[in-house]
Amino acid sequence: MAFLRSRVLWIGAAVVVTAALLPLWLSAYLLGVLTAAYYFGVFAMAWDLLFGFAGEVNFGPTFLIGLGAYTAAILNSEFGLPIPVCVVAGALAAVVGGILLAVPALRLRGPYFGLVTLVAVLLLQNLIVIFAGVTGGEIGMTVPDVLSIDEKVNYWFALAFLTICAVLLYGLSRSAVGLILQASGQDAVEASALGFNVTKHKIAAFCISALFSGTAGALLIFYMGTASINTVIDLAIAVQIIIAAVLGGRRTILGAALGAVVLIVANEFLRPLGQLNTFVVSAVALAVILFFPEGLLGYALHRGERE
Amino acid sequence: MTILTGARRALLAGAVGAVGLFPFGALAQSGDTIKIGVIGEESAVAGASLTKAAVMAADEINAKGGLNGRKVEIITYDDHSSAADAVRAFQRAVSQDKVVAVIASYISEVVLAIEPWSARLHMPFITPGAASNLISKAVHDDYDHYKYTFHGWLTSAFIAQAVCDYAKDEFVGPRHMTTAVVMSEDAAWTKPLDEAYLECLPKIGLKVLDHIRFNPDTSDFTPIFHQIEDAHPDVIVTGISHVGVQPTVQWHDQQVPIPMVGQSSQATTSTFWKDTNGAAEGVITDTAAAPGVALTPSTVPFVTEYEKKFGVTPSYTGYASFDMVHVIAEAIERAGGSTDPDKLVIALEATDHLGTMGRIQFYGRDNLYTHAMKYGPGLVTTIAIQWQDGKQMCVWPRDKANSKIAFPSFIKLHASAN
Amino acid sequence: MRAVQILVDGFAISSLYGLAAVGFTLIFGVSGVLNLAHGGIMVVAALIGWAAAAEFGLNSYAGTGLGILAGLATAYATYLIVVRPIQRSRAIRPEETEIFVLTGTLLWGIMIQVGMAYLFSDNPVTIRPLVAGVVNVLGVRTPANEILIAIIAWALIGLLWLLVNRTRTGKALLGASMNPRGVTLLGYELTRIYFIAWTIYGLLAGIAGVLLASFLGVGTANTGQLTASAFSIVVLGGLGSVSGSLIAAYVVGYLETMTAYLVAPTLRPIPALILLVLVVYVRPQGLLGRR
Repeated sequence: MAFLRSRVLWIGAAVVVTAALLPLWLSAYLLGVLTAAYYFGVFAMAWDLLFGFAGEVNFGPTFLIGLGAYTAAILNSEFGLPIPVCVVAGALAAVVGGILLAVPALRLRGPYFGLVTLVAVLLLQNLIVIFAGVTGGEIGMTVPDVLSIDEKVNYWFALAFLTICAVLLYGLSRSAVGLILQASGQDAVEASALGFNVTKHKIAAFCISALFSGTAGALLIFYMGTASINTVIDLAIAVQIIIAAVLGGRRTILGAALGAVVLIVANEFLRPLGQLNTFVVSAVALAVILFFPEGLLGYALHRGERE
Repeated sequence: MTILTGARRALLAGAVGAVGLFPFGALAQSGDTIKIGVIGEESAVAGASLTKAAVMAADEINAKGGLNGRKVEIITYDDHSSAADAVRAFQRAVSQDKVVAVIASYISEVVLAIEPWSARLHMPFITPGAASNLISKAVHDDYDHYKYTFHGWLTSAFIAQAVCDYAKDEFVGPRHMTTAVVMSEDAAWTKPLDEAYLECLPKIGLKVLDHIRFNPDTSDFTPIFHQIEDAHPDVIVTGISHVGVQPTVQWHDQQVPIPMVGQSSQATTSTFWKDTNGAAEGVITDTAAAPGVALTPSTVPFVTEYEKKFGVTPSYTGYASFDMVHVIAEAIERAGGSTDPDKLVIALEATDHLGTMGRIQFYGRDNLYTHAMKYGPGLVTTIAIQWQDGKQMCVWPRDKANSKIAFPSFIKLHASAN
Repeated sequence: MRAVQILVDGFAISSLYGLAAVGFTLIFGVSGVLNLAHGGIMVVAALIGWAAAAEFGLNSYAGTGLGILAGLATAYATYLIVVRPIQRSRAIRPEETEIFVLTGTLLWGIMIQVGMAYLFSDNPVTIRPLVAGVVNVLGVRTPANEILIAIIAWALIGLLWLLVNRTRTGKALLGASMNPRGVTLLGYELTRIYFIAWTIYGLLAGIAGVLLASFLGVGTANTGQLTASAFSIVVLGGLGSVSGSLIAAYVVGYLETMTAYLVAPTLRPIPALILLVLVVYVRPQGLLGRR
């Protein structure tokens, strides 16, 4: 185990250092794409923690992200509060939302849990549309403050954030708490027979996922300068997060980040297609689900295990 | 060992991917081409018109030898009606594709999202269709930062003024109407529109009995029409853009006996008749221009050419977008061929262009709506059209009208009218 | 007067909601699939129905028929391209199949929406009403088409009831929803049963799409809303319960109509959402849910 961890550490460090050097030769636009991809990576990792380890399929990660994002955006836009305050408020809102969602949802089994998470997203979406005066409705709203205008600064900030979250989440997944979560996820009955409070741990997983999602959502808003349904709430985004995690390999945490970067870069790559880039990305994602459900890192690791 | 190989493989794949991005890193060739970015909404009829017309304008300029020998190239982007996508496209246009100016969107929320970025990135930017007053008010309030933004369409306040002007000429006068209900979608552009309606309608003699703002997501307008009918107004004054087909069809199917006039963006396009299966008959809307109406010498040729190329007539954004490309081209010439943003801004402010919509000039710093398009006789007044028998017929101003107003049989005007 | 308006207006919209929701719940009941491409199927039917008449000049009956067939074809495509391959995939663990089906149908729904928007733009379209004109229902001026829609919706629901309760095929469907393996033991081929279920679903969704287009107008922008609406109603009524979905459809339809008339049109979707939240907290399996 320790051997493995140190290898992962070295590879991870190498990746981060390489990434940190990219601004030296990539254009501002591409840096912007990667910046958004890094935030997306945090979304995906937070989802993977919940699904991969607690075994809960969350169809509405965007509920948590959206809560964080819009809380921060509205506080900044309507009340002019400084960015750090808004981000913290957003994270808290997401955690509260996470608890409110988790409590009824965890009592359910089978398709109902997924349904409840979906319903949560729909509710938030409808609320945003109904109060379009404040939230900008479907088209979106602008926030007066941004983190920085400099593409490089934004990029390094996002990279740092991704790295910290990756370290924290990965560490969590490998820790005692993580193992308990994994046990609860795979066999809740046995886990509780062993004396672990499964529900408490799952709610904790929700809160952690919410914390990271909400913070990342708020930061994303202050990077882009806009908040809109189809960047942080829409079911299409939720699906992209799930695809990112699946693409990268579920239950690996780091795979989710990898998948997210690949997905976002591919999306931008296809932007010249204009209208159809969503179509192509969805089609490719569908193909991934059909033919490649283990994901990149999943296959890489499992092949290792089999041999 | 094998686990390491697998992980290393993944790392290599990532590295290859990153290297693969290098070609994008190479600087785009600047050369002798003038690049203009155009961000539209390809899935929306008005948004698609915007990009098509811009491309047509560039082709026309190039056919005449270009801009002092330099080619004009339009780079198009689709923002999927999303503010965030539009911002991303704008950033790409500026950093990656190295455009000298951007023409973007007819949706006010999108334009308002792009505006701060045009300020941050010092990129001249014109909207050929959004209406919110805030767009130009921001320029007035913080000129040094926002001076790069220009409003290439009438602000909501002026649109409301135009509607009031023709309501006065056509309804209050000859048809003795005295009451109205304002019905608009809850969106950024209608806030100032409704404020202006509520102010100018009573001034022309129409008492506003009710003011309904509905969710742009509404698909069932029956309760709204029932509510309006219960108030017994003589006319419904509209402010709709995000919706159009649904309320119009339902108005027709339910045979609501009150005429609908005002601003209905979707009704300005030629596909509207087909989309509503003819329910558009009798609907009156404000628009930039219409087929067969020679507002200026270039209006009719533009429409004819557009229709020949694309099979449909341009929506109001098409006229504006076409004109704005020419406005930008002229500004570059005026600036001595320079595409420096600050010089371009000064040149744009001096615009006096006879386009397809009329004579285009922008307000200056002394006006509350700096860089908004000037409204008035001899400049741009827009026209009012009514759908009759599948065609858009101009019914106002009188000197440009090619038809008289006529309502479908289910409309019951008051006994004192006609 | 207002009460009658609400009664009449609410009835038609509830009937349409019911028709769409019944198909959605049927497919879940029989093959365990929550088809998130539901809205897409309805929109395809509506757009093709409109195009056939407006662009190609067919009369409105032929256009409508073509639209329904297009809906059916899309339903088949959903099953054959997305659902069945995922269900049969050996690479996916059995307990994860549902998630992948959900994600897959959602992706497919997005593809349909974007593809249709590319072909037709996102402008809503309407299908010419099958009957024109208005009639007076208890003092309320109502488009005749609206009455026809309610009649058609109920006729179809009645037909469905007959099918499920009185025919062998129908009983096989019911059996399959309860115990797929048991049904095979009785000599029915599951594939054929699924095929029948998707056929019924495709027809119901297609008809609902076409009727909605003639009543209110439909565009690609409505895709998500339509799925969400069917989905919320089915959750309220109970997954897999046809009668539950019908009741829930009327509850939601009338709640929305009453809100629009008595409170404000802007707040229309709210009470239904609040109800949904309550149901999820208090009785997650819905009114008449079985599983």
